[in-house]
Amino acid sequence: MHKEKLKWCLVFLVPVVVMFCFLYAVPLVKVIYTSFFDYKLTVKGMQFSGFKNYVELFTQDSVFRVALKNTIVWILLHTFLHVALGVFLALVLNRKPRGWQFVRTVYMSPNIIAASAMALIWRIIYNPDWGIVNGFLKAIGLGSLAQNWLFGVNTAFGAVTVIWFIYAGYTTTLVLARLLSIPSDLQEAAFIDGCTPIQVDFRILLPIAKDTITTTMIMAASYMLTMFPLIYMTTGGGPGNKTYNLSLFLYQKAMIENNYGYANAVGVVVIIMGMVCMNLIKWMMGERGDRQT
Amino acid sequence: MNATVEIRSLKATTRARIIAGKVFVYLVMACMVVVCLFPIVWIILSSFKTNAEVFKGAFFPGQVNLDAYKYALNMAPIMRFFVNSVFISVTAMLINVTAVSMGAYAFSRGVFKGKETLFTIIMAAMVLPSTAVIQPVYMQLRTLGMLDTKAGLILVYCCFGMPVGLMLLRTFFSSIPLETEESAAIDGASFVMTFVRISVPMAKPGIATVMVLRFLEYWNEFTYALVLTTSVNNRTMPLSLAYFVSSFSFNYPAMFAAITLSVLPALVIFALFSRQVVNSMVAGAVKG
Repeated sequence: MHKEKLKWCLVFLVPVVVMFCFLYAVPLVKVIYTSFFDYKLTVKGMQFSGFKNYVELFTQDSVFRVALKNTIVWILLHTFLHVALGVFLALVLNRKPRGWQFVRTVYMSPNIIAASAMALIWRIIYNPDWGIVNGFLKAIGLGSLAQNWLFGVNTAFGAVTVIWFIYAGYTTTLVLARLLSIPSDLQEAAFIDGCTPIQVDFRILLPIAKDTITTTMIMAASYMLTMFPLIYMTTGGGPGNKTYNLSLFLYQKAMIENNYGYANAVGVVVIIMGMVCMNLIKWMMGERGDRQT
Repeated sequence: MNATVEIRSLKATTRARIIAGKVFVYLVMACMVVVCLFPIVWIILSSFKTNAEVFKGAFFPGQVNLDAYKYALNMAPIMRFFVNSVFISVTAMLINVTAVSMGAYAFSRGVFKGKETLFTIIMAAMVLPSTAVIQPVYMQLRTLGMLDTKAGLILVYCCFGMPVGLMLLRTFFSSIPLETEESAAIDGASFVMTFVRISVPMAKPGIATVMVLRFLEYWNEFTYALVLTTSVNNRTMPLSLAYFVSSFSFNYPAMFAAITLSVLPALVIFALFSRQVVNSMVAGAVKG
């Protein structure tokens, strides 16, 4: 009976192990391995080239530098400003004003819509001729400020960045769920001791919800690290290369230029950045890697 | 309630401050609601306009006009993209949830050497950024001859989110008391029978959570669909939007209609099952 059970357990493990190898382990090994090769679709075979791809990336490729810088700036904005906004909204909703459940659902809704649809919607909102942004500016008499937001050299970066603020609802939902699970007698006791609501927020609720906030920060960072459709479908990295990020750059190198070895060096950079971000955030939030899962 | 009595006994200045606080709270809520709803409401309203009305920048359509929908459905095989999306995401979701349930059950009930090590290694995959490995995955599908096929896309999709699901369901299976399963085994039920008849039904909430999470992820996925498919026959709904920009550049209401058609199913599902979706997302947020 015991042997029978063990046998079946191993059989049950086969699908997940195959999936793990197919989409995670094997590609990871391949990405790292081929990043040390001169490996292009046009050239037959692979030529070992040591760190040449990496050296070229960091010393010669100006587009890569822009992409790297943009990705870092977006990750920072997202993990700090964005999460802060989400946490702030969660604290507001935690006061349970009338209709808070409805509002929570509304905040969540942008996360349900496909990013590509959202990108198209924003393209229309920013349309220079009849988009709602310029329309609004003209209506309030600031028509001189109206411009081609997504494709202007000075405005593109900001215009793309603004889009992401509607995604704050995700953080709000997660943090609010944690806040609601805190027993209310804790807050009542604090009120009786003379705490103001804001003191309760900052001294009691936020420290308790810290692990959830850490999680949302890590999710926000990795979201920005892999962000692709919203940029691909709004500016496509332009104008020039003003709004390139690493995902777009990698796509460009791998699928358009078919320069595989080079693209995979970018992939390795992305993977390392992901690990660095995660550990930095954990370290900053005072978690020393003792929480597995 | 206690609190109201307390408030009444407070001084007038404090009361004013409380009212100001309330006004502030509602103002913040209203602002965010407008920001979140406005784009989508505007698009849906605009899909009923005529081209001239769009250019004029009117917010509300003069009259409800369904021409844009007729035009959009004629211009592009939107229904086919829709069916593709449903087929691919539902199939991938079913494969994923089946494999993950089996794996999670084995991790929860099995006793064998190296179990925890294997589990930790699989969990480590959670932090792998999906776009970083796009080229090797592309090559693997090419080797299998599955580029630009629905099966290929399903094969890749069904692996997405496997570690998170495995972790969620392992916890679920582990919370089922062993005695229930043991008594079934004494009654002569085999391992597989016990799993199908006893454990899976008891882990239903967890399985539903995984299904919701995966369906939404697959339904909205863009990057891999763009890389792994090329022909119109295998195009999914999110991907089709990338092609609308050029093909609808002379008829904007038709583009709005196409966006509305692609966004509406997800929004309807969300409106109907918002509690379940929100709970799933909270449960699924275990990164790191």
